[in-house]
Amino acid sequence: MTDITAQLQEQVLIARTTEQPLNIVGANTKSGLGRISKGQTLSVREHQGVISYSPSELVIRVRAGTTISCINHVLAEQNQRLIFEPPVFNEQATMGGTLAANQSGPCRPWFGGVRDSVLGLGLINGLGEHMQFGGQVMKNVAGFDVSRSQVGAMGTLGVITDVSLKVLPAFESEVTMALNCPVHEALHLMPRYFREHLPVTGVSFWQGQLLVRLQGSQAGVDSAMKLIPGEPMEPLLAAQWWHKLRECQVFESSQSQVLWRHNLGATDQQDMCHDDCLLNWGGAQRWQLLPEGEEATNGAIRYLGGSREAEVNGPVNSVARKLQGKLKMAFDPQSIFNPGRLYSWM
Amino acid sequence: MVSLVAPSPSAHSRKELVADLIAMVKPEQVLWDDENQRPFECDGLAVYRQMPWVTVIPDNIAQVQAIMAYCYGQQIPVVVRGAGTGLCAGAMPHASGVLLVMTRFDKVLELDGDLAQARVQPGVRNLALSEAAAPLGLYYAPDPSSQIACTIGGNVAENAGGVHCLKYGLTVNNLLAVTIVTMEGELVTFGGAGFDTPGMDLVALLSGSEGLLGVVVEATVRLLPRAEKVQVLMAAFDSVQVAGDAVAELIGSGVIPAGLEMMDQLAITAAEDFVKVGYPTDAKALLICELDGTSAEVAQQLQAVKSCFTDCGATSIRVAKDADEAARLWLGRKSAFPAVGRMSPDYYCMDGTIPRSQVGHVLTRIAELSVHYDLPVANVFHAGDGNLHPLILFNDAQPGDLEKAEALGGDILTLCVDVGGTITGEHGVGLEKLPLMPYQFSDQEVAQFRGIKLAFDPHEQLNPGKAIPTLKYCQEYRSIQHD
Repeated sequence: MTDITAQLQEQVLIARTTEQPLNIVGANTKSGLGRISKGQTLSVREHQGVISYSPSELVIRVRAGTTISCINHVLAEQNQRLIFEPPVFNEQATMGGTLAANQSGPCRPWFGGVRDSVLGLGLINGLGEHMQFGGQVMKNVAGFDVSRSQVGAMGTLGVITDVSLKVLPAFESEVTMALNCPVHEALHLMPRYFREHLPVTGVSFWQGQLLVRLQGSQAGVDSAMKLIPGEPMEPLLAAQWWHKLRECQVFESSQSQVLWRHNLGATDQQDMCHDDCLLNWGGAQRWQLLPEGEEATNGAIRYLGGSREAEVNGPVNSVARKLQGKLKMAFDPQSIFNPGRLYSWM
Repeated sequence: MVSLVAPSPSAHSRKELVADLIAMVKPEQVLWDDENQRPFECDGLAVYRQMPWVTVIPDNIAQVQAIMAYCYGQQIPVVVRGAGTGLCAGAMPHASGVLLVMTRFDKVLELDGDLAQARVQPGVRNLALSEAAAPLGLYYAPDPSSQIACTIGGNVAENAGGVHCLKYGLTVNNLLAVTIVTMEGELVTFGGAGFDTPGMDLVALLSGSEGLLGVVVEATVRLLPRAEKVQVLMAAFDSVQVAGDAVAELIGSGVIPAGLEMMDQLAITAAEDFVKVGYPTDAKALLICELDGTSAEVAQQLQAVKSCFTDCGATSIRVAKDADEAARLWLGRKSAFPAVGRMSPDYYCMDGTIPRSQVGHVLTRIAELSVHYDLPVANVFHAGDGNLHPLILFNDAQPGDLEKAEALGGDILTLCVDVGGTITGEHGVGLEKLPLMPYQFSDQEVAQFRGIKLAFDPHEQLNPGKAIPTLKYCQEYRSIQHD
């Protein structure tokens, strides 16, 4: 439990005066994501601890350096859970980094991503000002939604100091149904899990196997499993699979290979729909490991591995680029934070 | 009552402006006389009125781009309006600006049953979207009480909520992509058909931006499958404190209802007098709880809710026997605003959100304030997510009554901030709550909001004077508070 807000603010002010860029780092578990940012390290790692947690409010507020594992542990004691099932990355991943890099797990399409759980946050901008946006209540539309805008910004808009999150009760029961089928049949079966009211929390396809995870009340899961084709999977094997998928451990990427990720409409029959692709999020997220130099389909991003010099997030049209550039200036007028981390031009 | 700062007179005469606009759209799409513009002088908060200078009703994106580029070049303010059901004077026109009315953008462009998504124009009515999706077994979850009239574009601008937010989220949680025309007339889309497109989340930034950052011309939203089973029950309590505690207890126990609404005795009586649905008028507080899911899930939850409310001291519990009875239990709640309206010449609706644990304390304090100001207050609220809608009864014809109602409303909202909540949960700031922004936000935070505004709208032409106060205003506010 350490509050180093004043120290973080001080470092930002020094960086501002000396015009020295800062590279914001939590536990450094996401150094392989995005582009490489050159700058002096600003570590948020020690800024840890649960600031408040009230189970009956379904709200937890933590400092940005608090690990996801720690939050999971605190919530589990009260039989609650983080809604967006983020990766824990060897128990090191922090809440600030998870939000900045927009990391959600297999349940994303049905329970929402980081953005849907965030209620508010604290932020130090490029002027060294510490501010609070949003809050700890479920509904809040006063002022612009600065909190959710940080999701996916890779720390380019400021230093996240604390995050307030909505949480939910833990699931009572879980079962995974497995069906062997070719990829096109899997894609044909997946849409029903978006259009039918079932307690589905994960749908993946890998190496000829379609897996559907059901979580919820005992009665709900028991009745729903009868409606899902395939056989129940052995619980330990199923748990290992969803862990591997969440932690991005299905592929092992290297310098000579690039792991491509494509987030798209779940029913798309063309893009990254090969037997060697991994499908997650009911087909709305697709992964492919390719040798460096070989491009995946248009719209895919260079998620991990290979060179991080070029753009990793694909092209951005001129209007979106102009607006994001101006937004960056509104938060960080001297471009101190994570230069180049999100785009080469920011 | 807040008024907009008097605008600097435009170099243009109204005649020149009308002539220029008619060159971009058909003559019948431009209104400038009082008679035709009268319906647009206010939104749902009718105490704030202002006739527009000129009203334009475009019907395609190219027209919106041309109008915006023209107004940008001529430095003319632009206020965007959907159905005008907002409750914060956010769509109140500007005396020397163009009012852009988006109601002709009323097409559902694409309904994809497999993806469970819809691509819509901004003028599509909220309920019309759910009706269009119904044959596919789908619906659009955010359901503000104005859903029969309000439009998706306005819902995006206000980040509209409704009675099912606790389980299904607000507009932002159901929005995948949004296309806007900027003040400069440029067209840009954020988000996509998939989830979590790379980069900062500008879909979220635009949600609830109250028409200050761009004109929404298209939106892609998620649709949800209708639940197999829906069950509604009503529980009566002999104190609001006990009912408030029951809400916290239920949610803490792990049950997340699809909707959980609370009414106090004045609201219960008003609703019962109006629609006669069988509410117990002797109860001090009523909870209406909706559960949804598979039949098995709902049966299990229903037992849990009944035993929780009984243990918490409910004086009676009534479970709707069929869909018809469920609809009647909801009818009382949904009619609460007009029902209260029958009791008084005017009412003023507040929209604070508080932590659920503070419900009892805040309602007690509101009752004290009601006595202090000598104005009755009926309380109707989304108990599940702590979003209060105190309705202050007053008579606008009585000199000083409106000012008294506004002062009481201000005290209620600052109380919400004091207990860790916010001045607005779902209605927005608009012009109405501008004076309270410095109470919730520091000057630095307000300056950051202004920076965001200027990034999108460098000359502050889009819905000027709303939602975000000037720093000068904040400083004046603080100097008065210190005196």
